Amino acid sequence: MSLAAVVDTRSEFAGLSTTYLLIAIGVVALVWLALAAIVVRWRARPGEHRAPVGRTSNAPLEVGYVVVLTCVAALLVTLTFRTESKVDAVSSHPALRVHVIAAKWRWRFEYPGGVVQDGANDRPSTLVVPTRETVGFALDALDVIHAFWIPDLRFKRDAIPGRTNRFDLDFPRAGYFPGAGVCSEFCGLLHSQMRFNVRALPPAAFRAWLRRRQGRT
Amino acid sequence: VSVAAAPGASVQASPPRGGLIGALAGTDHKSLGARIVVVAFAFFLAGGVLAALIRTELLTPQLDVVSRQLYNALFTIHGSTMFYLFIVPMAVGVGVYLVPLQIGATGMAWGRLGLAGFWLVLAAGVTMWSGFLTQGGAAAVGWYGFYPLSDVPNSPGIGTDLWILAILMAGLAAIALAASLLATVVQRRAPGMTMLRLPPFTWTIIVTCLMIVTAFPALIVAMTLLFIQRQFGGPYDGSAGPITYQQLFWFFGHPVVYVGFFPFLGAAAEAVTTFSGKRWFGHKPFVFALLVFAAGSMSVWAHHMFTTGAVNNRYFAFTSTLLLVPAGVEYFDAAATMHGGRIRLTASMLFALGFFFTFLIGGVTGVWVASPPLDYQATDSYFIVAHFHYTLFGGGVLGLFAGIYLWFPKVTGALLREGLGKVHFWLTMVGVNLAFFPMFFLGQDGMPRRYPEYTGHPRWQTLNDLSSAGAYVLALSLLVFIANVGVSLLVRRPAGPDPWGGQTLEWMTDSPPPPHNFDMLPPIRSHAPLLDRRRRPEGAA
Repeated sequence: MSLAAVVDTRSEFAGLSTTYLLIAIGVVALVWLALAAIVVRWRARPGEHRAPVGRTSNAPLEVGYVVVLTCVAALLVTLTFRTESKVDAVSSHPALRVHVIAAKWRWRFEYPGGVVQDGANDRPSTLVVPTRETVGFALDALDVIHAFWIPDLRFKRDAIPGRTNRFDLDFPRAGYFPGAGVCSEFCGLLHSQMRFNVRALPPAAFRAWLRRRQGRT
Repeated sequence: VSVAAAPGASVQASPPRGGLIGALAGTDHKSLGARIVVVAFAFFLAGGVLAALIRTELLTPQLDVVSRQLYNALFTIHGSTMFYLFIVPMAVGVGVYLVPLQIGATGMAWGRLGLAGFWLVLAAGVTMWSGFLTQGGAAAVGWYGFYPLSDVPNSPGIGTDLWILAILMAGLAAIALAASLLATVVQRRAPGMTMLRLPPFTWTIIVTCLMIVTAFPALIVAMTLLFIQRQFGGPYDGSAGPITYQQLFWFFGHPVVYVGFFPFLGAAAEAVTTFSGKRWFGHKPFVFALLVFAAGSMSVWAHHMFTTGAVNNRYFAFTSTLLLVPAGVEYFDAAATMHGGRIRLTASMLFALGFFFTFLIGGVTGVWVASPPLDYQATDSYFIVAHFHYTLFGGGVLGLFAGIYLWFPKVTGALLREGLGKVHFWLTMVGVNLAFFPMFFLGQDGMPRRYPEYTGHPRWQTLNDLSSAGAYVLALSLLVFIANVGVSLLVRRPAGPDPWGGQTLEWMTDSPPPPHNFDMLPPIRSHAPLLDRRRRPEGAA
């Protein structure tokens, strides 16, 4: 069986966001310092009478500056595309397929063999997944638009009525994470209550869990 | 000094009506513009009261001030008021007052259409806010009212219908006022005032109005179809409905953010030129950058839909990231204008500087969310709330105050108090950053927007409390501003025609200007005709 390369969305985000953050901090620092220096240098002092000086246009400088800006934009777009193609890749052979159904105001997870994880409005359901394997999700909504968001994985996808969205996720850490998943698209009265728990089990433990549940149904 | 008579000045303008009829039905652009600005500012304060209620609810993780339904209505009407009733009418309202003056015209073209715009803004506000009086309360669907949450089964109250009608009226108002302004620029420029000699502020209004007349029809269509859907069913039925609504809405919804930004960039630019004593640097590249910016902003809308899985993320990531180029040109021009100048740190100039410093945070985070893998985390979280408040408050509102402190003397004939203005400025800077910066961390840590409670995450309380404290500081800053306006109007310090040493034509005439605007005009040879007159050599024949 050929398994797709596992893509850890959290570390992909960390890599790209670190680069963006460093560039952003550099740009902000540079611009703030430049503006502050200009204001300090050219501020009018009391009793001082001098005429403003300096050019009112400088085409070569501006063209050069535009070229630099375009290069920065090109760099950012290239990095973004590289990460995006990994994060958005959908494997044709995921280790597990989970069908997610969002409806006001709860999450339902359907597994192979008729296994269903469901909850109620006051009792969030639990998404059970294997660690370090590609989990393929198919996401549907029954009533209004919801959004499936696991902040720890830095990943979000909308659940839209009449449209199935597919995406892959990897769960690197084993453990039980209560309330790790939330609805992030405003969906009415109990939007803030619409969450789910995540239980990530080592693959062997996960298979055992799934077999046990399949036997029960 | 050679002077030409203002075109039309020899024609006897009918005296403007005073009293109630003048206040309701006058088409003089100055009175009309001032009325729009005052009404829009009133809606800004009203929307701010809702924001204060929201921030008060979020002081604790529990739901303890308002009900869930009311909270949902609060953020819906807060956002809708700020966009449809404040920032867009304010953007065009400032233009209605100033553009005819800056281009040396005696009045605006299509004044009655502009008057209709004013009335529609008022009617839209009354209609939207009357939702609070209905059974079921005001609309609670978010300011973008995504279908199908906004259909009748999911949002049955009449408050949602009133909200749709209000947006239709506000949208038509914006189109009417933008069309009048574009016609004014095309038809009413003084002799010698070529398009490339129009000052920076007028150019920002032109691109703003171009975006309005291009983008707002999509809003009219989206809302009309939604109204039909709610009354009769049909337009959005079927599996394509939710995405169709979003495409229509965001085709309007992205440019509208720039509508709430460009005119205030223009105001900040005028403050920078005036208080540096230099003409705006690189005027032609600036105008070109503005046009590229506006055109580009028409092809980035689906970056609001990166997580829908229904659009080409790469295309919209590409176009959205490229916008940093024209934005960067504007920063360059502002810095180069100040360089070598004689910078006077008046309240207006401080707000203009605050605009460039603070908006930068909104700008770089805008580049951040233009990247789909980063936006997957940020969208619909408090990160995005922080981002757009940095652009619209840190950008739009700070630029607006730069303009208010600059042009208040022109409009009223009285100077605002500089001391109170500086207090207002520093309180605003503290408030903006305290209110909105913590939200970046909340969003990155996983707090979705539109949550009235966060009982599962008590660690978010500190950041939320800082943010709420910032909101209260902003409320205080606005009280200082209102006090400043009151004091300055009651104990007047006369401004005279040109209190700052202005460069553009509005400073040529009395404060406030006479009904026909100008008794005479100087020769117009650049985008800073009054500076030419003072300096002589450049461009003189």
